[in-house]
Amino acid sequence: MTVRVLGVGAAAPELRLRAADVGAAWGRAGRGEVAVCAPDEDTLTLAWLAADRALTAAGVEAGDVDALFWGTSRPPFAEGPSFAFLAASLSLAPTVGGLLCAGSAHAGMEAFAAGTDAVAAGSARIALVIASDALRPGPGTGFEARCGAGAGAFVLAVDGPISATIGTRVTRTRPFLDRYRGDGEVDNRDMYDPRLFREEIFLPVVRAVAEQLAAFDVRAWSLPDPDGRLGAVLARNVRATLTPSSTIYGAIGDAGAATALLGGIAALDAAGLVAIVGTGGGRTTGVLVDAEIPVPGAALTADAISGGRPAGYVEALRARGQLQPVGETIPMGVPPESAMFVRGADEMLGLLGGRCVDCGTISTPPSIHPHCINCGGPKLEPVALARHGRVHTFVVNQTMPAPFVAPLPIVVLDMDDGARLMLQAIGDGTDIEIGRKVELVLRKYAHERGVPVYGFKARATKEDAP
Amino acid sequence: MSWNKVAVVGAGLIKMGELFDQSYEQMASGAFEAAVASVDKGFEPNQVEAAFVATQRGTLWGQEGIGGNTIPTAIGLAGIPCTRIENACPSGSDAFRVGAMAVASGVHDVVLVIGVEKMRDKSSEEGLLSRAAAGHPIFTRGETAPVLFAPFATRHMYEFGTTREMLASVAVKNHYNGARDPYAHFQNEITVDDVLKSPSVCHPLHLLDCCPQTDGAAAVLLVSAERAREFTDKPVYVAGFGVATDHPYLHEKDSFTEIKVTRMASQRAYAMAGVGPGDIDCAEVHDCFTITEILDIEDLGFFEKGDGGRASLEGETSLTGRIPVNTSGGLLAKGHPIGATGVAQITECWWQLRGEAAERQVETRNGYALQHNAGGRGSGVAVVNILTNRTDAP
Repeated sequence: MTVRVLGVGAAAPELRLRAADVGAAWGRAGRGEVAVCAPDEDTLTLAWLAADRALTAAGVEAGDVDALFWGTSRPPFAEGPSFAFLAASLSLAPTVGGLLCAGSAHAGMEAFAAGTDAVAAGSARIALVIASDALRPGPGTGFEARCGAGAGAFVLAVDGPISATIGTRVTRTRPFLDRYRGDGEVDNRDMYDPRLFREEIFLPVVRAVAEQLAAFDVRAWSLPDPDGRLGAVLARNVRATLTPSSTIYGAIGDAGAATALLGGIAALDAAGLVAIVGTGGGRTTGVLVDAEIPVPGAALTADAISGGRPAGYVEALRARGQLQPVGETIPMGVPPESAMFVRGADEMLGLLGGRCVDCGTISTPPSIHPHCINCGGPKLEPVALARHGRVHTFVVNQTMPAPFVAPLPIVVLDMDDGARLMLQAIGDGTDIEIGRKVELVLRKYAHERGVPVYGFKARATKEDAP
Repeated sequence: MSWNKVAVVGAGLIKMGELFDQSYEQMASGAFEAAVASVDKGFEPNQVEAAFVATQRGTLWGQEGIGGNTIPTAIGLAGIPCTRIENACPSGSDAFRVGAMAVASGVHDVVLVIGVEKMRDKSSEEGLLSRAAAGHPIFTRGETAPVLFAPFATRHMYEFGTTREMLASVAVKNHYNGARDPYAHFQNEITVDDVLKSPSVCHPLHLLDCCPQTDGAAAVLLVSAERAREFTDKPVYVAGFGVATDHPYLHEKDSFTEIKVTRMASQRAYAMAGVGPGDIDCAEVHDCFTITEILDIEDLGFFEKGDGGRASLEGETSLTGRIPVNTSGGLLAKGHPIGATGVAQITECWWQLRGEAAERQVETRNGYALQHNAGGRGSGVAVVNILTNRTDAP
């Protein structure tokens, strides 16, 4: 069965780290910049944002997705409910199938292949494929200044409007080391001599895959570029004239498992054949996507991954968890293993309210509101809350104990559906004012006893800047 | 027609501050002794038939899960009936109200109401600030105490043009009064400029817009109105009281320009006392932050909604103003040992109505003083007590 691409979405953190700042700390030169996660971002929140955009571009309701395929080298739980948390935060149906691919930077290609096969085999009518990553290089390593973060998502289906179809796929497996982590290690390592890696590992394998795809009339390429030079070598080898992946690397750095798909998404902004090649963990896969028209969402890629605030090296280290304060932090009053998280999982991750059948008022969250806050009535029906609203009032908290980091804007919101919410806002508060339009995005509220706690935060929308 | 079924015949407190050298029990004992010593015609401790103790945050002094049994032992009255009242920042006010009801019911003739709070036995990070991590994991994450009131300041400024100078004028006035109150935590005067230039704590509130963390204790002795003259020739009566509640989360508020429970509680208290805001000679109100006092004086009916900032800036709430507010220095200068706060406010009202407030004495033409606290999650609880020195109460 033919597999169609209904829409795509991209995401990257706003924070940007300059390679020169990393180099300066270690007595080296550096050029370019990479995206780094803020402390409240990770591979799950990036995956959420890319997927939310892809679903919107495709015009697909989250509840209609049959299967989720997520590839990342760093699931937020080494062992745990990473897949389930992402599915719940996207409001996917509890019956959703699919899988989480991890273990290397090839995980994104594995998710893409698995999603394609599931749709082709008829086991999923609509599949959501997401690749996200946020690399954490060892401080002082030679590749530290190239490690970035980002996410890309595809909505695949057996039917739907004409846009793009997925074609030939080729793959190679060779047992070589690449950038890797041993069991129990947190930071990425890279032990090979650069010349050994280039001549004996990377080029022979990746070129073999790319050259098979080069037999077709490829308009644009997504090619791996681990060191800032090999991508160009590959492009010459396959006589590629258009490599949107190099733009991705330039904007956000090496986003691990997400990079190959992000290069492909950027390339789908025009009709023609796109070749996507991804590598990692001793595996290399290439796939062709034939776009009859520009794929919905692809044209938004540049804006979706555009940078915002510059981060210094120290801030980046702190955001990656590589610079930690000594001493105790204040524990959550309601820890993640408590019953409240069991009762409230869906309403917190999916952002639900209870709408009063009698007066229409929305009380949030439902689990603590057996009665309406307006009329006191006992009949409330669960509703998904609006994701857009305006600031009613706000504060910027400057005084909190660790693990909180000031400034922390907290906003009271009038949502478009009439509900009122109080949530943390993203940023330092300088873009918040009464009346400002905001959108809600998934972020991390805490990292408590090794467990990430996710919830929605408000972000001032770009189109309504003061 | 004022209620006047119960009289306050004794009241006292200890010097507020960072009382690292005193235990919870020692503070309680000090306040009780001060109240006993204040009774004009003498009072034997064993005349206390029952006690109500207000302590809001037992966790702040390290004895979690306290009940009513700590106080009787601390004041040498082990064995008497004693109940702990916990109702957020109005805990002391509410213990007073419950104590008055216990007397009025006829069950007890002589009741001790005592408020005690240890705020400083734990560090700020482990103490009051730790509430940043308490409560709902999403909807209250980062919600330290100023977050409960700062959104009201932001909105009040937006809707009514209230300025930071207006907020600051509240702190300046209360520090002026505190400098004249020997029991106040802070006894120094400050300027508007001091407030404006103090560090930001939670925008738009700065350090001197906030009350300090204070250890303290206060106690009052309540007796039935019929027996008041056994203890004093200058009794002060409980004219009326009111309590109100609102939703516990900020996102459930209707309005961020009023503390609804303050309005509701005061209307109930005014109705019970048979008076209106214009009859009040002076008021001790909840000024945990400068914005709170501005909201209070509007919601209690002293000023029109939106006019509280101007009134404060122009001195209408000063010792010589139209309605003197927080003559004791308020929470901002006297301090806010939570459970003790309301009882200490009652003590100030008692002094004012008996003409014993020394430098802070205001003219009590009508003979009514009002005491108010608001607080709790989402500022969802308020208590108002009205006292009078009039035996001919209408």
